Order: sequence, then C-alpha cells, then structure tokens
Amino acid sequence: MKVYDVVPGLEFDAERDLAQSPAWFLDATHSVPPWTPMFGWFWINFCRHGMQYGAEKLSLPTVHGWDWRFMNGGGYLTLLLVKSEEEKQRREVEFRKAILPLIQDYDGIWNGFVKEILGRYENLKTLDLDSASNIELLDNFEGTINTCRRMWEIHMYMMYGTYTAYILFENMCRELAGIDDTSPVFHRIVSGFDNKVFQVDRRLWEFSKIASDQGLASVFLENQELDIRGKLEESEKGRNFLKDFSEFLNEDGWRMQRMSEMNLPTWVEDPTPPLSMVKQFILKGGSFDLDNERNKRILEREDAEKQILSKIPSEQRAWLEPLMRLAQKSGIFSEEHDHYLDLYTHAMMRRSALGIGRRFAKSGTIDNHEDIFFLIPDEVRRAGLNPGSFDLRYIVDRRKSDWMEWQKTPNPPAILAEGFDLDQAMGILVKSNDPIALKVVVGSMPQVRPELKADLYGTCGSPGVAEGTARVIVTEDELHLIKEGDILVAVSTSPSWTPVFSMIKGVVVDRGASLSHAAIVGREYGIPVVMNVFEGTAKIRSGQRIRVDANLGAVYILDK
Amino acid sequence: MAKKWIYWFDELDSDFNELVGKKCANLGEMTKLGMRVPPGFAISVDGYERFMEDSGAGEEVQRYFHDNRHEINRVGKQVEASREIRRIIESKNLPQEMAQELRQSYASLCDQVGLHDLPVAVRSSGSVSMPGQMETYLNVRGENEVERKVTQVWGSAFTTRAIAFRLEKSMDIAKTPIGVAVLKMINAKCAGVVLTVLPTTGDMTKVVVEANWGLGESVVSGEITPDQFIVDKTCGECEATISSKTKMVCYGPVGTRVAEIPHDLRCAACLNPDELAEIVRIAKDVEAHFNLPQDMEWVIDQDLPFPENIYWVQARPAKFTKKKQDESQYLADLMSQIFRM
Repeated sequence: MKVYDVVPGLEFDAERDLAQSPAWFLDATHSVPPWTPMFGWFWINFCRHGMQYGAEKLSLPTVHGWDWRFMNGGGYLTLLLVKSEEEKQRREVEFRKAILPLIQDYDGIWNGFVKEILGRYENLKTLDLDSASNIELLDNFEGTINTCRRMWEIHMYMMYGTYTAYILFENMCRELAGIDDTSPVFHRIVSGFDNKVFQVDRRLWEFSKIASDQGLASVFLENQELDIRGKLEESEKGRNFLKDFSEFLNEDGWRMQRMSEMNLPTWVEDPTPPLSMVKQFILKGGSFDLDNERNKRILEREDAEKQILSKIPSEQRAWLEPLMRLAQKSGIFSEEHDHYLDLYTHAMMRRSALGIGRRFAKSGTIDNHEDIFFLIPDEVRRAGLNPGSFDLRYIVDRRKSDWMEWQKTPNPPAILAEGFDLDQAMGILVKSNDPIALKVVVGSMPQVRPELKADLYGTCGSPGVAEGTARVIVTEDELHLIKEGDILVAVSTSPSWTPVFSMIKGVVVDRGASLSHAAIVGREYGIPVVMNVFEGTAKIRSGQRIRVDANLGAVYILDK
Repeated sequence: MAKKWIYWFDELDSDFNELVGKKCANLGEMTKLGMRVPPGFAISVDGYERFMEDSGAGEEVQRYFHDNRHEINRVGKQVEASREIRRIIESKNLPQEMAQELRQSYASLCDQVGLHDLPVAVRSSGSVSMPGQMETYLNVRGENEVERKVTQVWGSAFTTRAIAFRLEKSMDIAKTPIGVAVLKMINAKCAGVVLTVLPTTGDMTKVVVEANWGLGESVVSGEITPDQFIVDKTCGECEATISSKTKMVCYGPVGTRVAEIPHDLRCAACLNPDELAEIVRIAKDVEAHFNLPQDMEWVIDQDLPFPENIYWVQARPAKFTKKKQDESQYLADLMSQIFRM
C-alpha cells in the first residue's frame, strides 16, 4: 500500500476494478468539484457501507448495494449485482418479511431514527473542543466516525425501503390508472407536504419580517452579504436580532454550505449564507410563498387522489391507498433526510476535525487548522494523543498539491472497460432494479419529439410552463446571482438551493428523476421543472431568454 | 331422572358451547382460568327443549309454522309470526318440576351471595351467532320474575329478524337452540371494555381500556365517549384520555335506565391506577392463555374492596383490522415483484 492513499483499500485500481465490474460511474452530484481527502475517506467508506447495509438489511432481491472507489477526489460507484437466479429467489422471500415493518409503521421507524441520530449529535456537541484533553478530543473524533457510519446505515436502509414503495406506486398508477411519474396528476399526488427543510426556510422568512419590523431592512439592503453581520453588531436592535438568529442557528444551522464537503463553514460558524437568504426574502417582500402555494397544492392533491382512487376497483383501494401514503412519504423523506442525516453529520465531522486541527496547529503537527482536511483518520490517530511528537506537514503538503491538481481537470463521468459503451453501462443500472439508481441517478430517458422543434428535450419533474431569463449556476456560491423571475439552469440541485426556488420561475437540470431535489421542491413551489436534458448547462448561457414547457418536457432557447 | 339442564359456571368451559351457548361457556371458561366472574348458573338448550315439549309450546309453534308455511316468506307475516310465537311461549308457565329446580338454583345463588331476592341478569346465550335477536334482562329480582324472564329470553329466539335469518339460511324455523345465563348483577361503580390490541391499527404492543361510570352498556353500545387508557404492554406507559361523560346506564326499578352523571364526576377518571393496572394485567394473562388478542368486558363493584371488586363478564377473541396485516403482506409481495422486471 502506498503511504499516500486517501482511502486505503478503496482507491480505484483500473486493472482489478474493471475486472470486477466493467462500468464505474462518477457521482457527479456529490463529488464535483473533487472532495478533500478527509471528506472522501468518510464518504467512500461509509456511504459504501450504508448502501450494502441497507440492501442486506432489506434483502433486496437483485442487488447487494453499491461498491465505491476513490479516484482523484471523485467518488466512483458500481452496482453489486446478485448473480444467480436461485439467490435472487431466496433473497426475495426474505425481502417480503424485511420490508413489512416499514409498510406497517413507517413514521414510527423514521422518527425513531431521527431521535437516535439527534441524540448522537447532542452527545458529540457536549464536548468543549478547545478545553478538552487530547484523549477526549480523539475520543470525540472516533465518536464522530461511528456516528457517520451509523448515519449512513439509517440513510440507506430508509432510502432503499422508501423508494421501493415509491416505484411500486408509480408502477401501479401506470398499470391501473394509466398515468406515470411524469404526468401532472401524479405530481399533484406527491406534492403538498411540509418537511423540515421548508420549515427552516420559513424561519428565515420570519426573520426577514422581524428585520423589517425592527427597522433593520436597510442594514440588509444597503450592505454586501459579507458585511451584514458586522453592521448588525453596531446597533442594539441589530445585536438583539443576531442573538435570536444565532439561537435559531444553534438548533437548525448545523448544516454545510455544500452538502457533501466539509471544508466550508457551517451556518453556525458563518451565518452569511442564511443572512443573505433573509436579505432575499426582504427584497422579495410579501408573505411566505410556500404557505399560499401549500394550500393550493393540498387541494390539488386531494383532488388528484380522488381521481386516482376512482379509477381503481374498490377491492384494490384497500391496499392502494396505504401504498399511496407510503409513496407520498418518499418526497418528505428525500428532503428531510438531508437535513437530519447528511448535512448535520457533515457539520459534526467538520466540528470535530477542526477541534483536532486547532490542537495540531498549536503543536506544530500541521501549519494551519484547516490542513486537517488533508489528513485521513489513521494519520489523525497517529498524532492524536501526542501531537507534539509528530510532524505531519509532509503529508499535508503532498495531499494538498494533489488536491489542487484534481481541481484542474474534471474527473471522467464514467470509467468503462474496453469495448464497453455508456449505453450498455446505463443498461446495467436499469437492469439492476436498484431503487436508488432508478429514482435518483438514472431517471426516465427523455423522448426526443422533433415535431416540437425544441432545443432540449427532458422529462417532467414538476408540471407547468414558464418563460424567463436563464441563469446557469454551477456551484452553491453563485446562488446569489439569481434574480427574481429567472429560470435556473443547473447540473442538479441540493437542499442548500431550496430558498432560491421562491424567486425563480422554472428549473432546467441536466440530470434528475422524480425524487430528485429539484423535482420535489419545484412541485411544492408550483414551478415547472424539466429534468434529464443532459446538455442544459452546456447549451444554455446565462442571460438568454428561454421557455420551458415541463408538461411536454421541452426547453426552447428564444434568443440564440 | 330427567336430563341435567342447569349448570354452575365452574362446571363449564368452551367444550360446552353447543350445550349452554357461547356466553355461558365463556363465563365457565373464565371461571376455570381463575378470573372473577359474577356468580351464577346456566340453563342449557336441553332446558329450552324440555320446556317447549312439556309445556306444549313446541307443538303450538310447529303448528303455527305449518299453517302459515305459504305466507311465511312475506315480511309482514314474519312480524306477525314473531308476535304470535313469543306470545305462545311467554304465556306458558314452566312445568312444575323445572320451576322447582330453577327456584332451587336461584335460592342457592342468593345464599351464596348472602342476599335475599338477589338482583340478577338474565341473558340469552346462543350457540351460534345470530345477529341482534337475543334479549337480555337486567336487574331481575325474585324467583317469579326470574322464571318469567327465562321464558321471555326463550321467546326472544323468535324475533322477526331471527325468523328471517333462519329462513334465509334454510335453518329449521321452529327450532332455536338457546341457552340462558342467570348471574348476579354487579352494583357497578364503573364498567367497560379492554382490548389487548388497538382495533384500528392492529398494533399488538398496546392494551386499550375504555370505561364509563355505571353499567357497561353505555361503553359497549358506543353511545357516549368513554375514558380511554392506552397502555404499553411492555413498559406499562399509559396514555389516558379523560372525556367529559354526561350519561350512564344504571339500574331502574325494573331493568335499566339512562341517568345523568353528577357534575363532579363528569370529568373525573372512572378508574384509579390500581384498578387500571389490574385490568391490564389480567387481560394480558388471558391473551397469553389463548394466544390471541382479547376483547373483554369488566365491571367494578362499588361495594367490594380492591381487587375483589373487579368482575369479568365477557372474554372473546378481539376483532381488529387483521386486514391491515394482510394488506401489508400483500404490499410486501407486490414490492418484491418489482425486482423481477
């Protein structure tokens, strides 16, 4: 083994790994831009563990979960397929028993997990990192590793179970009522639900009202995002506002600016992102859009539910209705798990790692506390109890220069064995029947309909038609460029993007399926979302006028 | 010697379903399990048949049905038949020998409890389930009244609905095997039901107790909102919902009547924690014995000290949405199939 492996045992090895599986896909949603070494170590080890844990716990008939490799800051994945028919049948028998608890007590199970994981976070947070002994610090770090591991177990068990129910509901709607998951009726059935992410957004909106009531609106409007906090500190009212705001952040602000990375501050450390969202709400004025939209969505949903149920023979309704309720929970889970699981755990990882980073920097083990992100846990352990006795700067130097290299050239979207093409590779994904691969990664393939004379063809993630200025956004830190009435164009979106949905008129994403973030949130806001256009970010330029017709899955560039 | 037709509850168990009807057999079964049931005795179907034969009522009933066989399918005729047959049965006195035996049994029940003219409940106890045709007389006092009510219960086997039901099922209309239970009335402080499963969800980790002041009829009929206690079977954690209870069922001079609940009791819990715990404990034991969720009725006597004040009047397998289980399994099967595509 090389000393400099980032994820020992799971570094991509073309020769061996392509022999194991002919196709490895880059996880572009989470590992572009390339991960820091420590984050990559956590993700590759434990996301991989969680997927296999979930697949085994539920005994998924066709798939053992996913295998992951690390290459140049990118996460590469492939499916672990169940090979023999006989084994599939055996696993199917077990699956029928294993899935039952989720069918019978979905909320009980999910709420229990949320309680468990929040308890772990509280536990980790009790340690004052700066006054702790080296032993306690390392202990806290080990506890964080275990929490991350457990988080991924919960994450993938729930996700596999939830999405399986969703896919079945989709199939049943198609078979019994003739509608699929790109149909507006279907979208109405799965929208009109609150979730934790929306609740956080609502709190930010409330803060925008408080700011206006307290006469603080000008502080937000007349200053750059970065200066708002400092300017607020200058007045009594501003300080009071910040006090309440940081209380809110202590509860709900344990999240990352970038969902799957740890080298950017959490909201608790740096409230600039949530404060700029407050600013956006002040700019926009009026009531919280989602409240009005939600009521409309609920009525539409109830109507759509009746529509579906009326098309189905009464003796089938007894099981279709509970199935529909389960499927509706998929959207809620898809959003909420980011808040309670990924974002929060990553914030805990950052907190614990920085605690050690500061200790190491003080002892000269590394130069700067943030250099800790260029070490991996085994190296942290090496110096953990006696940082003064070790100099790990040579590792940091080498890793950092590698990491900077990774940023320069994008990782290839797929690594394929010779003679194997992308279509065949996608075919394997589809054939696996892996619920997560189907609903999040692959999605439905767009139908090209030349008679529409559209510039891009995609699938409907949320129904509707809109026309406006395109705004192409590559990473989270460009979100503030979005203006009221724009149409967002992106590779994909994640929870930290949610607040901009109140400003935009529509969304075009390169990749996505009906349970992707953009589709779920777009439905709640009642704006059109076209997904899986593949080349949206390449073909559309910011400032161009575009028209999206999500019902037809078509995107038109109006001024070429 | 004539066939035995009166049985004490401790002589019975579920093997006697056919002979004394389900209710009596159930009271016997509970007695055998060591549960406190109101003291009393059962009159078997043999008693009914002997009465019908010896009193001549059976012959008259047969004749009536024979004479009216062409019209009996008409609803109007069924109403008339019911009235006529009940009149025939209720007009007959118990044959001498039977009357004596019944009086003896009632007397020894009074002795056993230590009360002269002990108020009893006279309940029908059918061996097959027949909806809504069986009568129950509460607060019956004195041997003459007991005698009269027993014949009335027998007559109640011929309500219009019972006749229609038997015709529909092609059963012999003239023959209706029916048992009777005669048991001490409990001077109820409160009463209610206990289920060892949540009937709406099929959740078997909980016990639910529902209670109201007075007799259990108000809870069983579902006319009022009773107090509700949901108790976790394992940890004993209790979720209590105390309702504002306005009406209860209590004894009248004859039978029962509906009474206003005094204001100071309306919002008070009608079970104390000890009583609740004891009811839950016994319900769990019975469930474990039968290995099936139970639906049980209990009464708390206001004159006796705890725990002797808890009486059981019914224990049967609970009806709950077992469908839930089946639907879940069905959904699980469907979900497994999506992996085959």
